[in-house]
Amino acid sequence: MRPSINRPPTPEAEEDQEKEPTLQEIINIKLIESGEKERLKELLRERLTECGWRDEMKALCRAFTRKKGRNNVTVDDLVHVITPKGRASVPDSVKAELLQRIRTFLVSAAL
Amino acid sequence: MSGRNPTYTNPKPCKHLADYKLKHGLDGYNSLQKSLKTTPNGRTAMNRDQSKIPRCSFCSGYEGRLYFCLICSSVSCFSSLELNHAFLHSQSVKGHEIAVDMERAELFCCVCCDQVYDPDFDKAVMCKQIMEMPCNNNVVDVSIESSNKRRKVAPKKTALDLKNSRDLVMRLRRESNSCFLWGLRGLNNLGSTCFMNSVLQALLHAPPLRNYFLTEQHSRESCRKSSFDGLCLRCEIATLFSAFFSGDRAPYSPARFLYSWWKHSADLASYEQQDAHEFFISLLDRIHERGEQARPSNKDNGDCHCITHRVFSGVLRSDVTCTTCGFTSTTYDPCVDISLDLDPRNGCAMEVADGFIKQSETKDMSTLVGCLDLFTRPEKLGSDQKLYCQHCQVRRDSLKQMSIRRLPLVLCFHIKRFEHSPIRKMSRKINRYLQFPFTLDMTPYLSSSIVRNRFGNRIFAFESDEADISTEFDVFAVVTHSGKLESGHYVTYLRLKNQWYKCDDAWITQVSEGVVRASQGYLIYYVQKILYHKASEDMLAQPISPHRDSFLSTSVCC
Repeated sequence: MRPSINRPPTPEAEEDQEKEPTLQEIINIKLIESGEKERLKELLRERLTECGWRDEMKALCRAFTRKKGRNNVTVDDLVHVITPKGRASVPDSVKAELLQRIRTFLVSAAL
Repeated sequence: MSGRNPTYTNPKPCKHLADYKLKHGLDGYNSLQKSLKTTPNGRTAMNRDQSKIPRCSFCSGYEGRLYFCLICSSVSCFSSLELNHAFLHSQSVKGHEIAVDMERAELFCCVCCDQVYDPDFDKAVMCKQIMEMPCNNNVVDVSIESSNKRRKVAPKKTALDLKNSRDLVMRLRRESNSCFLWGLRGLNNLGSTCFMNSVLQALLHAPPLRNYFLTEQHSRESCRKSSFDGLCLRCEIATLFSAFFSGDRAPYSPARFLYSWWKHSADLASYEQQDAHEFFISLLDRIHERGEQARPSNKDNGDCHCITHRVFSGVLRSDVTCTTCGFTSTTYDPCVDISLDLDPRNGCAMEVADGFIKQSETKDMSTLVGCLDLFTRPEKLGSDQKLYCQHCQVRRDSLKQMSIRRLPLVLCFHIKRFEHSPIRKMSRKINRYLQFPFTLDMTPYLSSSIVRNRFGNRIFAFESDEADISTEFDVFAVVTHSGKLESGHYVTYLRLKNQWYKCDDAWITQVSEGVVRASQGYLIYYVQKILYHKASEDMLAQPISPHRDSFLSTSVCC
């Protein structure tokens, strides 16, 4: 029997396509492995403390804990309560500074 | 802000942590120590392999919080209650319930899905930190012994709190039958001396000083004989105290006192307006000196026992940390007051998301608490102020942080309202309003709190823990300044038995709380709560005879 010329080509192994990391993932991994992510986190901590963001978050956590009762609050609860507010209140200047640092890193890592 | 709850020191472990401890004891913690790493700023994390990032054993994810199982060392992630592989791990393998947050070095119970606390764990973390961080061999900052319970011991009775004082109070009370409020008396202005009058009013009503002088602990008889020039400032002050607490309410002219003080501070002898704070400091200095002449056996180790130091002297701690290696150099300095810079009004340069600012506390005015926060905040020393780090052996960028090692009986806060610029050869006064509380808990500013906070608030005993010193203070006097730098006026507000009185040189008037709160504080005096309440008990509040009442009673609305 002649093989069908219309037979579709052997399919690629599906797993390979899933494992292919996105650009975002590649950048992230490079940041972590080079230690740059840790440095950026330190810088971010410093900036957010300076501008009072950390104190604001602390106050929110305290208020929430007082309302719900000390023994009825988990770390996860607190994270969920303050994350949206926290994200929304990061000053633009801090965002800009960090983006600039990441850009510089990308250039130097020659991606 | 709520005061520290003395019963809250160690949170109770959950059932799973308790089981883990019973079964494994400290083994897990001790073997974990090898993997811990501390950065110079005090944060501890699990030291990860630089070439590989830790990934969850279930999903290979590296995002969210990663937890390291204390029993099998496997890593699982926790992103949300739905995506909770840490919990899965505890369900898939029996007994694997306690893990460590890799980024924060904190215990986590995978079943309760919450952080848990164990003093033994914190101790293991702290030990590693102490071992790792470059240490100063001269100062043992953190003791290895852990004493978990911070007992709140009853405040020590001070030596000034004599039984004699009560007897004297009772005797004088009986003798001065027309007293409305004991010890309240005006001071005549002898020529721009309001700076002196205002401070004297505050000192005359500082409970420990009052007790000391009224119980004749400085004996005027034996002093006149021993002092060579016949002018003892302490005698003058004792005279003032007697005059004030004699029951006579006519305004008093402190001429002899002024003369004595001039003789002792020739450089300040003039009729010019002077700074009340400068006067306060120089007065304390002179009283201390005179004391030493009479009793030259004073110890030289900074622990002076003269009356001024017993009442006003505290100890400040200054930590300078190298930002590169974490080496901290600590120094202790005695102080008789605390000078505070005014905190900026708008400390937060934050973006306002919808409705966000309304819910949180806005900072639209300066507060004393804010000034204290500023005082104890870690300060980045400028690049032109690089200090020599003993560990790195070079000059490095450093962080400086102040805290209070020992609180005095009477706390005097000096608000730096007078700015002197040597460059511009100009001085100016800062008139900004400062809000101050009537009761103040100094716990967050103690060295023990500040240092503990630097290490993540771990449950650990620090050498500088002082559980037996009372940290609660009540205000009793406020010296205010109104007007300009060159031509201003000082007025003191005194709080006697929870009632406020305005002392404006010779005029004493009763005022409402609101007036005091709205005033421009320059020197604010606080005394330890227990001493204030004892003093209040001693104050007389007998019905007044209307004929002898020379006090004006006005309520001034703010």
